[in-house]
Amino acid sequence: MTTVTAIDRGLSAELAEDLAAAAFTLAKRFAAGATMWSIAPSWEPHALHIAVEFVHPVIMGKRALPAVALTGPALVDQVRISVQPGDIVVAVASAHNAQVRSVMRRSPAWGATTIWIGGGERPESGMADHVLWLDDPDPRVPATGGFVLFYHLLWELTHVCFEHSGLLKPEGAEPVCVTCSDEGRLGEVVSASTGGQAPVRTARGVEDVVTTLIDPVGAGELVLVHAGTAISKLEEEEGL
Amino acid sequence: MSDEPTNFLYPFIDAQEDDAASLLADLAASAQAKATESLALRHSTLQLNADLLNRAAAEMARRFAAGGRLFTFGNGGSCTDSTTLAGLFARPPIGKPVPAWSLTADQAIVTALGNDVGFELVFARQLIARAKAGDIAIAMSTSGNSPNLLAAFAEARQRGLYTIGFAGYDGGAFANNPNVDACFVVRSQSVHRIQESQALLGYQLWLMVHSGDQALGAA
Repeated sequence: MTTVTAIDRGLSAELAEDLAAAAFTLAKRFAAGATMWSIAPSWEPHALHIAVEFVHPVIMGKRALPAVALTGPALVDQVRISVQPGDIVVAVASAHNAQVRSVMRRSPAWGATTIWIGGGERPESGMADHVLWLDDPDPRVPATGGFVLFYHLLWELTHVCFEHSGLLKPEGAEPVCVTCSDEGRLGEVVSASTGGQAPVRTARGVEDVVTTLIDPVGAGELVLVHAGTAISKLEEEEGL
Repeated sequence: MSDEPTNFLYPFIDAQEDDAASLLADLAASAQAKATESLALRHSTLQLNADLLNRAAAEMARRFAAGGRLFTFGNGGSCTDSTTLAGLFARPPIGKPVPAWSLTADQAIVTALGNDVGFELVFARQLIARAKAGDIAIAMSTSGNSPNLLAAFAEARQRGLYTIGFAGYDGGAFANNPNVDACFVVRSQSVHRIQESQALLGYQLWLMVHSGDQALGAA
């Protein structure tokens, strides 16, 4: 029989740890009321499978969790209007997918936790909160069941975490600037600045931010917010 | 402690615990154990079904070469996996595309049929409208018992389609069914492990359809 790509790989210790950490995060977020949004622009059935897995569990008696697949065009706009702070975005896509890259870059401004499942070349470090990756460069990997195993394990481990309710308590505050009690936070400009101010969406919601240091800014631009002031712009990615 | 069937795997479960490190270590070990089980099942499934894969791939290749088309369908996670399979045939990252569609792609048709004639007929009615002799039908299921898939197989048989069923457990009503030409059974009791092996079976079928028939070219 033909040797098949992608079936002989086991689960490395590192990948097992990544799955464990991602599932623990999922359980904490769900326990705090999160909705999970799944996207897979090149392999949409994976986004749908993830949603049905969590909404309608195959094991009777397991709780239904809020999970929604977003499909079709304009995924960045769809995720932007859907996510609330504390939600989860899970993507199945290659590291080069422009829409998923844009969603991943913006997610901190939306207050969303991100999980990126994919294969081949890895996304740059820090692009997502959790990266679950098969390094096999074969473009047919998404059709071999490897990603299905990933999200099945995510679901199974998340439900194991629910049996440890003592560990799913809300986490402590994030580190802040010692002089002004604020931090540098990512924000997405909601509409163009006028009079040196613009509404900016951050993980805390929409706030009016002073933009005089970086003006002009337009809707959709990503900025760093510190103490009520936008202190720098993040460069746009090519092709976005 | 809750009455989960998996509790025996996690003897230290305690709602008052405060040590995430031990939970994470346990989750990682559990992930590796499940992945190992999945891998072993995928290997044994391909081995046990090797002859059937050869026969089914040869017949599919013959039909594609003669203008046949593929319809795939299933429910829930099996629906999405059958859609991935249809996509692999129709828009392969490598190799020649052949006409293939998932019968769950159009929500208007699925809901119209479900509402008007019943969910049991959501696939059979689409085959009545679209399928012709020489085509191929692939239904994916874990139980092998879904009424709408069995109804579609009966319709497909009447219309001269080559019918392929993917099932789990002992094959359910797909096994030894006169309306199913090739029945691939994944011998497991876990829906998740069954689906993972079925995905690989489908992928292998696609590879073999393209490697065994010169008219279609190598994948």
